[in-house]
Amino acid sequence: MTTTPTTHPAPPITRVRVRDLPIEQQRAIRARRLRRAGTYAVAIAIAVWILLPIWLIGTLAFSTPADVRSYPKQIAPIPFSTDTMEFFLNAQGVLPATRNSIVVALLTLALSTAIAAPAGYAIARYFFRGRDAFRLSILAVRAFPIVILAVPLAETFRRLGMFDEVYSVALMHTALTLPTTILVVSSVFASVPRELEEAAKVFGCSAFQAFLRVALPLALPGVAASAIFTFVMSWNEVFASVVLTLENRTLPALILYNLDKSGDPFKFAGGFFMLVPSLIFIFFVRRYLFNMWGQITK
Amino acid sequence: MAEIRIENAVKTFGKVVAVNNVSLTVHDQEFVVLLGPSGCGKTTLLRAIAGLGMVDSGRIKIGDRDVTYLPPKDRNISMVFQGYAIFPHMNVFDNIAFGLKMKRTPKDEIARRVKEAAELLHIEEFLERFPSQLSGGQRQRVAVARAIAVHAEVLLMDEPLSNLDALLRLRMRAELKRLLNEIRATTIYVTHDQIEALSMGDRIAVMRNGEILQFDTPTKVYDVPADRFVAGFIGTPPMNFLEGQVRRENGTPCVMIGDFALTPIPELHEELLKRDGQPIIVGIRAENMETLNKPVPDALRVKVQVVEPLGSQNLLTIQIGRDVLKASTHPDFQVEPNQDVWIRFPGDKIRWIDRETGRTIIPDLEQFTQPQ
Amino acid sequence: MKFRNMNWAPYLLLLPSFIYLMLFFAWPMVQALQLAFRRDSQILPLRAEPAVEDAAITGELERGTTVELLDVMVVETQRAGGLLSDRVFWLEVAGIDPEGERVSGWALRGDVFVADASRSSRGTVRSGVARLRAGPALDAEVIGELPQDTEVALLEWDRSGQRVAAGGLLQKPLTWLRVSAETEDGEVVEGWLERSSLSIQDTEISSTGRVQSGRGSKEWTLDYVKRMVRDARFDDAVITSILLVVLILPVQFVLAIIMALVLQSQLRFNSLFLYLYAIPLGISDLAAGLVWYTIFTQTGYLNSFLQSLGLIDRPFIFISSAHKEWIIIAIVLAEIWRATSLVMVIVVSGLQAIPRDYLEAGEVFGASLWQRLRHIILPLLKPSLQVALILRTILAFQVFAVVVAISGGDVLTVLANEAYRWYDIGSYNNKNVAAAYSGFIMLLSLGVAVLYLRTIRTQEEKEAAG
Repeated sequence: MTTTPTTHPAPPITRVRVRDLPIEQQRAIRARRLRRAGTYAVAIAIAVWILLPIWLIGTLAFSTPADVRSYPKQIAPIPFSTDTMEFFLNAQGVLPATRNSIVVALLTLALSTAIAAPAGYAIARYFFRGRDAFRLSILAVRAFPIVILAVPLAETFRRLGMFDEVYSVALMHTALTLPTTILVVSSVFASVPRELEEAAKVFGCSAFQAFLRVALPLALPGVAASAIFTFVMSWNEVFASVVLTLENRTLPALILYNLDKSGDPFKFAGGFFMLVPSLIFIFFVRRYLFNMWGQITK
Repeated sequence: MAEIRIENAVKTFGKVVAVNNVSLTVHDQEFVVLLGPSGCGKTTLLRAIAGLGMVDSGRIKIGDRDVTYLPPKDRNISMVFQGYAIFPHMNVFDNIAFGLKMKRTPKDEIARRVKEAAELLHIEEFLERFPSQLSGGQRQRVAVARAIAVHAEVLLMDEPLSNLDALLRLRMRAELKRLLNEIRATTIYVTHDQIEALSMGDRIAVMRNGEILQFDTPTKVYDVPADRFVAGFIGTPPMNFLEGQVRRENGTPCVMIGDFALTPIPELHEELLKRDGQPIIVGIRAENMETLNKPVPDALRVKVQVVEPLGSQNLLTIQIGRDVLKASTHPDFQVEPNQDVWIRFPGDKIRWIDRETGRTIIPDLEQFTQPQ
Repeated sequence: MKFRNMNWAPYLLLLPSFIYLMLFFAWPMVQALQLAFRRDSQILPLRAEPAVEDAAITGELERGTTVELLDVMVVETQRAGGLLSDRVFWLEVAGIDPEGERVSGWALRGDVFVADASRSSRGTVRSGVARLRAGPALDAEVIGELPQDTEVALLEWDRSGQRVAAGGLLQKPLTWLRVSAETEDGEVVEGWLERSSLSIQDTEISSTGRVQSGRGSKEWTLDYVKRMVRDARFDDAVITSILLVVLILPVQFVLAIIMALVLQSQLRFNSLFLYLYAIPLGISDLAAGLVWYTIFTQTGYLNSFLQSLGLIDRPFIFISSAHKEWIIIAIVLAEIWRATSLVMVIVVSGLQAIPRDYLEAGEVFGASLWQRLRHIILPLLKPSLQVALILRTILAFQVFAVVVAISGGDVLTVLANEAYRWYDIGSYNNKNVAAAYSGFIMLLSLGVAVLYLRTIRTQEEKEAAG
């Protein structure tokens, strides 16, 4: 037949049994199915690799102290107990340190975002002399070892009487997270089409109003994601915190400092407690994390 | 032998049926064009033949092998992609050699074939260059060279000329046709440009909504389109359509355009008599209408609305009843807008189209179509 | 670009960031260099002659060094036209310098703490009014007052009292004396007085003291660097740090590429895998170390697992100085677990930039999965991989909390750990050597980055040459 009728109700789909196909095709189909199954296997294996340690430490965090010290260790929190966590939270300095960590992280979030947002917008929207140089230096700065900053800053803080203060840790953390935030925010703003702001300007807005009414609302999810990520980074930071604090330690600094003196229950509960924000926040910002590098690899 | 048989191929994407129970046979070393507007399923069909998107149902056979479920690399095919897909990190030589390298061809053989392909495409001096240093046209040649270097039995081309500018496209059309005549591969070529299809293919499959409406030589598709859509799609300007009424006069049918009577050829009398009293669509191409500037018998008098002097022809826009038509005349034909001309409708050039089904009324299907 | 017509907006927007980065990056860097390479108040130079401005330096003593007192000289200087006179004590001391040699020379009394071993039993109240307190503390109750020139009998010395901040961090001890004196009314009162309110005759200075502070000469010196390099743990730290980088990075990259390919193949539940694979991005190195500690500790999960399989009958002590290789393995695993996701994110974005056409062309022209990976995907991923490599290497040299969490920082040490130890007040309290370590880490990172870039460039040149 060279022509077919122009209307068909529904196409006939004939299912074919693999066994009925020539051997060459059977092999190809089986190879393809095997590869698919293999990919699933690898994917699940990696997922287990990531989750299992978290499950294990979580188990210990919610087992009785006796179970925590037992051997061999159990792999599920049975019986479930909040004793270990309570012991950790009530241990000396833990709650104040947690409060310090939260305050530091919030300060860092606010300061870092406030300073980085205009810079990110400038990089995304304007073509100006020194733009590439600035972007390159941000990248370079990102790669700097924190170690070399923490020691001299600690000394400077000492001299200025700012040592061992929550706000000085926040200042340090802001410095650490600023480059990343600038880069993320600039790629977020770059993804907002320029024409939208131009249209706003045509219809009566000043540059600032256009930014406020058009660019910012559209960029807000991305900026919020980077702010949350900044919070997590600050919460996690150990080296600078432990160098910069003595009495007013942040939680990681406190835990690190007490590691050699503390027993297993403290360590396990502390480790798990530090993990929790990550688990929660990463869920919300996971998509944006992959966009972070969009504009950066040249 | 690289005959391609497609049997009852079906491909759906969710609720959308892209390929609707298509069957097609392409002879060994034949050049077949899949032609149609965007969304008609031609690219989907091509990709199914390539193995880049498996069919949901149906069979695809190349030669005497059933390849329906085989991966592309086992099908002994070659392809030119619409965006060329030339690897930017390899130079021209390595790009052309890619397929051969994957098949582990010995180095001297690779060098020979790459040189041969490059010469055929006139890009021998670019072998050391990288794609970023080439123009669009040159990159396209590299894509073609890569495809022919592997000496595959089947060559698939997905709108290879659509990214070139008009002048280049014209040149490449002729070059490609000459080239593909030399190499002996069964070629399937996808395009939405009907001029390309008419100029290049041995046979054209006109597709619409996932189905093949007609599969015929260019001449046949042009002269004897199988349905209204094909008739309107092929040809520049497209075929003219008029509303007519079938009437019986002394035992022979005639079709009335208003008061003007058209006489069908005797072979179609039987079919038209069946439609006595019914409306019918009259199709005729611009160049098939005889246009005269003085009254003659059997001619319809019409007023010219627009004259477009195209250099090789004059295109007149005329109105008959409610229908607007184009008539083509010799460039020396003198006429001004709002003047009258007289149109004659040669019976053998009229295509009668059923108003309900849109199908062209053809007495003997087999006479006008090639056997399978 | 004309000055007036230039758009100032972007520069204004950038200004806060620029200033902040200058303050908190550039300035500390300079400071770090100074700390590491300039002699400062941790070192006390000893001079050949007392009270002479530019007398030659005969040796240097570190703060905290115990010294032997050889001689005392009191120098009186007149000020303000003879109205005020200063008595300045110069001490000749001898001690062991940082290089281990015995040096001697003159230093100001204020820089060397020497105990006053007084033989005298009597003292006189100096200027003003001396307050008698109930106990040897500034907040003790005042029980009486003694006017100037009152003579007191010294009953007891107490030097263990409060420390008061005096200019910066230096904390001078307050010496208290229990005295008895006769008031104008003829009463005998007893109480505690500060040493500084009394003038005591015949005070002898003990024969040993301690260097309290230094006078920085602000010279460039390699002493701190030398100290760092000579330290017994330096070699270990360097070797361990490099070893960790060499072991961790290749595995991370392979794993990251695999993870990225898995995400690219759009399996069912892809967004679940996305979330799970992204979780480590928010995990701190301390938490990661603790997590893997639960596995490798003596009563931990690895032992539990092996025991339940019957492979061992007693827990194997993975984390011990006898089994350093196991500690390395634990750290490597912890770092791979934690930090691979960062590389994966970079690889994913690189993968997404590869047009699907290229991969399909690869498929059509006969490339198997492995061949597609090798000839198409990896070459086109190169820019992303380069960025990831440099970043990850630099971060890898800074591993700190993982090491401490797993092994405590003593059995095995890394460069960052050493920097911390030298800085910690409870430990060496030497910010100069700590800065030297920081600088060394940065130098190492920069060196590696330059090495990478150089290698990449020569590779590209080789490719271009054909």
